[in-house]
Amino acid sequence: MLCVRGLQRLKAALYLHRSSTHRSLTSAAALQKDDAPMKAETPSKEPRRGCVLCSVTVDFKNVQLLSQFISPHTGRIYGRHITGLCGRKQKEISKAIKKAHSLGFMPVTHKHPQFMTDPRICGIKHLD
Amino acid sequence: MPRYELALILKAMQRPETAAALRRTVETLMERGAVVRDLENLGQRLLPYKMTKHNQRHSTGAYFLVDFYAAPSILDGLLDHLHRDVDVVRPAVLRKDERAPDSSCCGPPP
Repeated sequence: MLCVRGLQRLKAALYLHRSSTHRSLTSAAALQKDDAPMKAETPSKEPRRGCVLCSVTVDFKNVQLLSQFISPHTGRIYGRHITGLCGRKQKEISKAIKKAHSLGFMPVTHKHPQFMTDPRICGIKHLD
Repeated sequence: MPRYELALILKAMQRPETAAALRRTVETLMERGAVVRDLENLGQRLLPYKMTKHNQRHSTGAYFLVDFYAAPSILDGLLDHLHRDVDVVRPAVLRKDERAPDSSCCGPPP
């Protein structure tokens, strides 16, 4: 009991002694000096890339847009690994194509010949 | 009232007959308490595939788009009426979403 109290007194004395002499390392003025590290963003951070249809609204009436994501020979819808679209847009395109099929806006078994010369978005090579 | 879109494919006819068919359709809509907002003509084109309707084979059609506000209860009756119309090849009523497109689309997850 007595030795614990003694230890406590010693600790208190040591801490008081430390705070009065070692000022330069722990005071607030030292931290606000010019050589403190600045906060900056990581230079190697890449900008956010979206898919091709990031800012494009998908509509079933826009048959030209929808025809870019189907096969010219069979009219089949390309998968996500070929179109490179994100989940949401792939689903929207797929739903719009099926809607256009059923409402009589887009051919089912082939691509409309008018859209055959459109630029290729999908990463697929045809053995033409 | 929610907003609907009627994607209508009419038989390829002469101009006065097409006009009469459209007039009939819009009057039907108004009779049932719909408010027609817009009527667009998407042109007469070759149909993507041959359609058979009312014992007739169609290869060309006139595409129209009717924007209207209506109560959901009239849609069943309206579609039934349109299916029975001889001049209509394919009617379709779709709900129009009034949501603004999300700006936080695509891009890899943080």
